[in-house]
Amino acid sequence: MLEKKTNIYWLFILPGCLFLAFFMLIPLFSLLFKTFADESGAFSMANYFALLESTYFKQVFWRSIRLSLTSTAVCAVLGFPTAYYISKYSKNKGVLMALAVFPMFTSPVIRSFSWMVILGKKGIVNDLLVKSGLIAKPISLLYNEFSMVVGFIQLFLPLMILSLIGIMDNISEDLNLAAGSLGASRLGTFRHVVLPLSIPGLVTGSVLVFTGCLTAYTTPQLLGGTDTRVLATMIYQQAMSLGDWTQASVVAVVMIVVTVAVSSVINNISRKLNPTI
Amino acid sequence: MALLELRNITAGYDKNVILKDLDFQVEKGELVSLLGSSGCGKTTTLRLIAGFSTPMDGKFIFDGKDYTQVPLNKRNFGFVFQSYALFPHMTVFDNVAFGLKMRKVPQDQMKKEVMEMLETVDLAGFENRFPKEMSGGQRQRVALARALVIKPDLLLLDEPLSNLDAKLRVKMRVEIRRLQQKFGFTAIYVTHDQEECFAISDKVAIMNHGVIEQMDSPSVIYNHPKTEFIARFVGFENFMDIKKTDREGFYLLPDNSQIRIEGKREGQSQKACIRPEDITIVPEGFSAPNPLTGQVMVSTFLGKRNQYNVRTAIGEFEVSTDQESVYKIGDQVTLSLAPGKIILL
Repeated sequence: MLEKKTNIYWLFILPGCLFLAFFMLIPLFSLLFKTFADESGAFSMANYFALLESTYFKQVFWRSIRLSLTSTAVCAVLGFPTAYYISKYSKNKGVLMALAVFPMFTSPVIRSFSWMVILGKKGIVNDLLVKSGLIAKPISLLYNEFSMVVGFIQLFLPLMILSLIGIMDNISEDLNLAAGSLGASRLGTFRHVVLPLSIPGLVTGSVLVFTGCLTAYTTPQLLGGTDTRVLATMIYQQAMSLGDWTQASVVAVVMIVVTVAVSSVINNISRKLNPTI
Repeated sequence: MALLELRNITAGYDKNVILKDLDFQVEKGELVSLLGSSGCGKTTTLRLIAGFSTPMDGKFIFDGKDYTQVPLNKRNFGFVFQSYALFPHMTVFDNVAFGLKMRKVPQDQMKKEVMEMLETVDLAGFENRFPKEMSGGQRQRVALARALVIKPDLLLLDEPLSNLDAKLRVKMRVEIRRLQQKFGFTAIYVTHDQEECFAISDKVAIMNHGVIEQMDSPSVIYNHPKTEFIARFVGFENFMDIKKTDREGFYLLPDNSQIRIEGKREGQSQKACIRPEDITIVPEGFSAPNPLTGQVMVSTFLGKRNQYNVRTAIGEFEVSTDQESVYKIGDQVTLSLAPGKIILL
């Protein structure tokens, strides 16, 4: 047996911890404290009650949740077959992985601007629709929930694909062959083996996409309109345009709580579906 | 007629041919082993039979029907993987029940059959465990139960015991043999372990470079290897170049001395071989058949036996003897090659 030595390896994580403490925990907690105080500085929940009674906030809140869930669901549906193909059937996996991740190399601003060009009144989508005679004159595809979801999907689909590939690569080909030799068709193998074993990847991907959508700022700001505000853009509006920092902080706290809550709910569901995680 | 027949099978990946014109037959109820070192094509052959891959050329006939293109899930063959390949997200019960579920066996019948099978492999009471909660030997038995519960027309085993420790390996191979004799199923067993394969099989097919060099019962292979490769594989360490003489049973060695060999073989023999245990060292003043003089080069103490490497006029011989007298390096000795133990190749 080795002598137990004084463990000094915690020093390795000290710089990172200090940085996070100073630049994240302290601002975060000072923000949190401010939201629980009234003007005199005494403890009060008044800020929260006021916010929860506001119809505007409720609208923004449910819109944020709805758009994030929709985007997550679409990412899962689009990402699953893509990831499965890349993981199991592709011959040049490296190239396809690079392509899948490629959108992440450009900034959300540039990507959002590209969507403006594509979805605008004079963009290619409207052009094609008009030329094909499906619509008489260009329709509004921008600055609404549709364009925001499109932006979110493009922004976060790579995260879903990468999470899924990571898990699918670990599903041994022997398991598929075993299922086949026991009489399972390709579809049966997929349903009973591949899908349940991919759930951890689906969960990780969903949490990443959902929290990403809920907290994204640039995309909803550029692709959404004034009547499709979400939590992140509302925080900006409260703090920067209206100068109401307390209100902005309260919204921010709500956003953090929702993010944590949804992540843990998704985690729990997945644990029920697949007890071996 | 053979239950299973591979005819002129050629298989491989891309341009890399692993099996070339392979012919292979298995009779109903036999346990046949494919034995060989890694890369010899034994696993490729097994996966081809299972339907995991299709041959580039040739035919696979099973029970009189052409199975070459039959998809894997329509073959009704059980497969036991080296990695066990148990479904990690299913309990032992669900793992074993999987094949029956795919066959749409009614719930209560399925339950009965699974429980019976778990009992057979001595795993009653484990049905609610997950594979990761079990030991290697237990997982192996789950894998066996899962493959057997579907009453397969053929059981294929790919080095099923190689991940177990030595003691458990011996126990499990007896278990596999017991199950095979109990159910009377036909099985093909791939292994690189000679002892394991001899212990378990009715017939052994030894493969080398994508070709079956010899297929016979274990005792025939052990006592009458047909090629030098197989002779080496089953423990013949000493090889001699020989030429036939006019005298029946006498052969000419490279140093022009003569050697008597009792064994016979069809066709022309150019080589003969003998195991280290079948060579004795003749004490001084005695005479013995087929004497060969030489000098001890290496002397190794092996407990019960002593092993010597002796250099003679026709090459170095490995001798393993339980004689009590011990010879040192440099000693001049006379070897005697038992005429009845020399095999012609």
